[in-house]
Amino acid sequence: MSKQHRDTIFLEEAEILSHQHLDGDQHLLRLQAPECAAHAQPGSFVQIQCSAELPLRRPISIMRYSTNEGWVDFLYKALGRGTHLLATRQVGEKLSILGPIGTPFELHAERSRPLLIGGGVGMPPMIAIAESIKGQDNYKPLVILGSEVPFPFSAEPSKILLPNLPSSVIATMPLLDGWQIPCRLASQQGYAGCYQGYVTDLARIWLESLDEAERQKVEIFSCGPHPMLEAVAALAAEFNLPCQVSLEEFMACGVGGCAGCITPVEKEGEVSMKRVCVDGPVFDAVEVFPRSGH
Amino acid sequence: MTKNASLATEFCGMKFNTPLVLLSGCVGFGEEYTRVHGFSNRDAGAICLKGTTLDARPGNPAHRVCETPNGMINAIGLQNPGVDYVVNEILPTLDFEETRFIANVSGSTIEEYIEVTRRFDDSPIDAIEINISCPNVKEGGVAFGNDPAMSARVVEACRKVTNKPLITKLSPNQTDIAGNAKGCIEAGTDAFAAINTLMGMAIDIDSRVPIIGNNQGGLSGPAIKPVALLKVHQVYQVCRPHGIPIIGQGGICSAEDALEFIIAGASAVGIGTALFYDPLVCDKINRGIAAYLEQHQLTSIDQLVGTLQLNQR
Repeated sequence: MSKQHRDTIFLEEAEILSHQHLDGDQHLLRLQAPECAAHAQPGSFVQIQCSAELPLRRPISIMRYSTNEGWVDFLYKALGRGTHLLATRQVGEKLSILGPIGTPFELHAERSRPLLIGGGVGMPPMIAIAESIKGQDNYKPLVILGSEVPFPFSAEPSKILLPNLPSSVIATMPLLDGWQIPCRLASQQGYAGCYQGYVTDLARIWLESLDEAERQKVEIFSCGPHPMLEAVAALAAEFNLPCQVSLEEFMACGVGGCAGCITPVEKEGEVSMKRVCVDGPVFDAVEVFPRSGH
Repeated sequence: MTKNASLATEFCGMKFNTPLVLLSGCVGFGEEYTRVHGFSNRDAGAICLKGTTLDARPGNPAHRVCETPNGMINAIGLQNPGVDYVVNEILPTLDFEETRFIANVSGSTIEEYIEVTRRFDDSPIDAIEINISCPNVKEGGVAFGNDPAMSARVVEACRKVTNKPLITKLSPNQTDIAGNAKGCIEAGTDAFAAINTLMGMAIDIDSRVPIIGNNQGGLSGPAIKPVALLKVHQVYQVCRPHGIPIIGQGGICSAEDALEFIIAGASAVGIGTALFYDPLVCDKINRGIAAYLEQHQLTSIDQLVGTLQLNQR
């Protein structure tokens, strides 16, 4: 009998190396978690015990990881009690984390133009994908990040020109520019250099600028609020492009034991409940948004 | 011998590595927690598989879980692939060398309980737990468990179709749990699991909507431990003369918690919500129980079961 699933998730007492508190109740957290860092993949998440007071763990996406240095980065927004308590934890303290968890995003060599669309705290998995392909000349990605609160980094004019996009849309995440990965930002808030509108509107402009042959090399990857994912799925359907989305749901165990975190998935006309933690969090957009236009 | 040799015990004739039982609905169909490095099914005496019905059930809509003070509410709704799939596709993948596997049988009608029990009887499963206390389905479950006459009828019907050890999982959401237990003993149960979750609710004050998709759910975790402990004590009074063992469960998170249940009358102890807090908690509880036995010069937990001495008033 196959037992390949065994010993793939690690429980670690992870020291907080840094914890930055940003506008919009956003927080950047770096943890020393060597096992998690060594096994993480783009799309993986961890279950963090935010406080002894609330022992049920909270799922948080991995943004970056260094196998060599053993750290893992997270960006989270303090929304409920758990994440508010997490925001009070200090550098030097230890957090119990369980990870990495989940079926990751899967890139395909023949789809050499990955379009990564992240919204709000859905940005981290997009950054994880981008970092995983940095320096790989066979991929020509575009990253579009959206936020309705100040971006959790200092947006700067990009040094990478994208002539197919409106000339006023120049702001990028400097980290991505450093990786030579083209990125643009979108918001309804009128932030300087950002596209004023939805991430999907900017994505549409880019997709329409490509000739058919190039467009057929696009695969969309996305994480963000549910309505945004639905719009992304509809866009993918309209352009007949494959699309993978990462979902979130309230979780208890995080290892597939309790079936607490489910999403309806439609495959070949049959609807079944899949666990977001281990069957996902990454799903084929067509299966979770079957009525998005397909 | 295993590292927990002194913790080995017998339950309904089954050899348990330790007195710990991983509870139904917390550990999927027995393999899920082995994903966690350091976790071993051998750290448990038995594993109760997810509640199983005759046909596949999709379960309840989201949200199915939410944290509450010292516990959590769940309403999964018996999502399962149906008994045939469990018997034919899942049981053959389990390693019965590692631990004992207990099926958890549920249904909407007595006929369904009988049929599911019959199919598990014709399988390698070690024992069968009758779930007459699931609070999260519209029909069956706790509707049977809260009516002593119905509970006994379900037990009696299942007893007729299996010789495997039969464990009846009791609901705390009833007036006279001991009276119900008495009826189930007469109907032929070999053991009890006490208790299932307590019914509860949590409300989002911004939307004024219950957080749980099913509106209500079952409360588990440390919050229910004192309730569970009293119920085990009450059920034990009925079981003791018949030598019927109990799996004590409800909020156990530590060796101390487990020992309280054993002293109250439990021959084995169930671990559920605590796994969500700490997936490696079983090893810690085992070590704690072993240390206690050594400190009190006991050679087996059997010497501790039901040793509670009530205050004389």
